[in-house]
Amino acid sequence: MSRTSAERGPASTPQDDHGSGFYIYGLVPADVEVTPDAHGVGGETFPVTLIRHREIAALVSEIDLNRPLGTPDNLVAHERLLNESAAEVPVLPMRFGAVMTDADAIIDELLTPYHDEFLEALGELEGRTEFVVRGRYPEKQVLQEVLDEEPEARRLRDEIRALPEEVTRDARIRLGELVNQAITARREADTEALVDELAPYSVAAAVREPTHERDAANVAVLVENERRADLERAVDEFAKRNAGRIEVRLLGPLAPYDFVMAPQEGEGAWD
Amino acid sequence: MSVQPVSGGVAERPSPTGLADVIDTILDKGMVIDAYVRVSLVGIELLTIDARIVVASVDTYLRFAEAVNRLDLAESGQGLPEIMQNMTQGASAHKTKGVVQGVLEAAEEKLHDLGGEREREPSRRRRRGEED
Repeated sequence: MSRTSAERGPASTPQDDHGSGFYIYGLVPADVEVTPDAHGVGGETFPVTLIRHREIAALVSEIDLNRPLGTPDNLVAHERLLNESAAEVPVLPMRFGAVMTDADAIIDELLTPYHDEFLEALGELEGRTEFVVRGRYPEKQVLQEVLDEEPEARRLRDEIRALPEEVTRDARIRLGELVNQAITARREADTEALVDELAPYSVAAAVREPTHERDAANVAVLVENERRADLERAVDEFAKRNAGRIEVRLLGPLAPYDFVMAPQEGEGAWD
Repeated sequence: MSVQPVSGGVAERPSPTGLADVIDTILDKGMVIDAYVRVSLVGIELLTIDARIVVASVDTYLRFAEAVNRLDLAESGQGLPEIMQNMTQGASAHKTKGVVQGVLEAAEEKLHDLGGEREREPSRRRRRGEED
């Protein structure tokens, strides 16, 4: 085991302390530093620090194991720390909730066995960050469009209106299903168009699952930092062309949550 | 229809740390530590919030049908708001814009409520349990 260059963070604890562990935000190159203003899930009490091993490091903070995790503050702290880091250095973000027992375990079980894979993945992320483009159909607009295009939807609407509510449940479900189908078809077409339009400015794209029934698109792209202005222009073009029918939001720069590696898959998801 | 885009056709650039966006991202994406570590993993209690909304469900269908019905009532109303819109063009465009924003904000609020709700009911599910 080559631990000669390993450096324990100042928050390292004795191993017999079962009340605390280490929360892991993500992995970064070893030659970075944590700025004093960085806050994690432990707030002021448990500062964010690095556990280094050779050329990589885990971005961590100590955590009280007796307190449950997952408050809105915790979630936002995790995301903010990773996004702010990713704006400066390559980061492999962990999914929320990664906790290990102590600093030795992080070195022995995470950083040592996967050192080369992580280092290579970090190299691939150099100078790249993630952006997410979200589109949503305004309710009145999209429903009106569906009614205008689908005679069956208009027929069901009239039927529902003419009858008492307690006998229209089936008709309402059918109407809703029709609307859902129409929106799904729009979503597929609009998502495909968006991905195509962003392709020249992105290294890779990942289509996310919709998180709302009126989602028009939910797409993550990995972008070279110097193409960022081009990407923003392309997103604005898309928004302009769809003005009135899709509300578009651009989120980022983010840590590359959608473009991390999985073990045994070698190069990573963006190839 | 006179629904105006909130942002005039330019993509909004809000803070990426809004709770709704955060939930979607960090509970569902990123590296899964279980895939790498077995022995020294700590299963801490997580107050989980299910980020995914099942899009194709009976609830969704009924909600859509309800929304179609609301839309219809508003249109056939021909009441005071419509007359006022005809009278003051500028004001009506502004009013519509407000409605769209209101809908989006309401959705955000709903998610915040959901967060608070789940917070009071801690579940012992670990991250892995959420994946399927």
